[in-house]
Amino acid sequence: MDAQSNFQQHVEPETVARLKRGDLAAFETVYRQFERAAWTLALRLTGRADVAHEVLQDSMLKAFERAGQYRGDAPFAAWLRKLVVNEALMQLRHDRLHVIEVLDDSVEQGEAPPPWTFADAATLDRALNRLPDDARAVLWLYHVEGFTHLEIAREFGRSVSFSKSQLARATKRLRELLQPKVEDTPCTIGSTTTA
Amino acid sequence: MHDRLDHHGMNGDMNNEASLTAALRALPACEPPHDTWPALAAQLRRRRTLRKTVWFTLPAAFAAGIALAFAWPHLHLRAPLPTPVRIAQPTAAAATRPSAAKPVTDVAALQTSSEQWQAWVQNLDRTGAPLDGRALATAVTLQDRIALVDLQLSAARNPATVASLWQQRITLLQQLGLLHLQPYLVAEQAQPVRAHALPM
Repeated sequence: MDAQSNFQQHVEPETVARLKRGDLAAFETVYRQFERAAWTLALRLTGRADVAHEVLQDSMLKAFERAGQYRGDAPFAAWLRKLVVNEALMQLRHDRLHVIEVLDDSVEQGEAPPPWTFADAATLDRALNRLPDDARAVLWLYHVEGFTHLEIAREFGRSVSFSKSQLARATKRLRELLQPKVEDTPCTIGSTTTA
Repeated sequence: MHDRLDHHGMNGDMNNEASLTAALRALPACEPPHDTWPALAAQLRRRRTLRKTVWFTLPAAFAAGIALAFAWPHLHLRAPLPTPVRIAQPTAAAATRPSAAKPVTDVAALQTSSEQWQAWVQNLDRTGAPLDGRALATAVTLQDRIALVDLQLSAARNPATVASLWQQRITLLQQLGLLHLQPYLVAEQAQPVRAHALPM
């Protein structure tokens, strides 16, 4: 299962109805169904397993306790995803995990294909984790969860231009991190000892 | 997604962005820790127990507090002994209370018995004298324990366990009822003639 399909799952209306009545078994069904999705999203947004664990627990507890507030005007998975996003961003704000990183906004792009097209999953994963928290969260929400800049701005409580600039910076930084480094070969000229 | 890509607005960037979307979406989903569900379920049960306890004890404590506040000036002026009329109230209630002589093992019978004991305690709570501070604290503890038994009953499946829990509930209700009768027991010690008025 890839990251995109995580929250694209259907929940049976009967399960949702039971969950709204406070049925713990129905909640377990929903939890098992979305555990990986919620964990992946929490981990991608916060970048730390311990914080992601807290986000997973708190958002799922809220899902159970606030299930009665779910009106059914959007898919249940989307409602649940919003809880996870809210909780993760709240943690980012609360723990001040985000590091303000001043980056050069000028985007230098050549004709060569972008480095993520040939990066393997592990390399891309490592590069993602090295991004500043806000930038990584915006990048993930935009590309994987399909949020618009307006939606991201609302989630962060910031302006649309914040979302756009964070995305541009994250993309640029990711490009830099994935760019193959030219190995510094030691200069051997003149290093040979003369007999 | 009307605002997607408008920060670039170039075809090359669109391709780059699409390729980044594809690369990120192709990342495998992460494996969550295995111990999350048991911890979550335990936390939910704790929250439910706490909520149930609060719902059960808070109104009782509040009512007892009000009753105590009303009774306090009278108690200070001249602590009067309960009148025969006041003693008659729990006596009447006690006359209708269920028999505790026979051990009951049938769950349905235990449930009925528990309902009767609960009605008896509620009647005492409504009509009896207000509890003092120490008795009130004991009453709250007993109500907590009843709430815990109720929680265990909601999860219990084994018939023997269920019967045992219902029996525990009855015992706790009996203790709660006796607590309400304590003022009358004190009054009765002062006037042993009316020993028949005390519950058995």
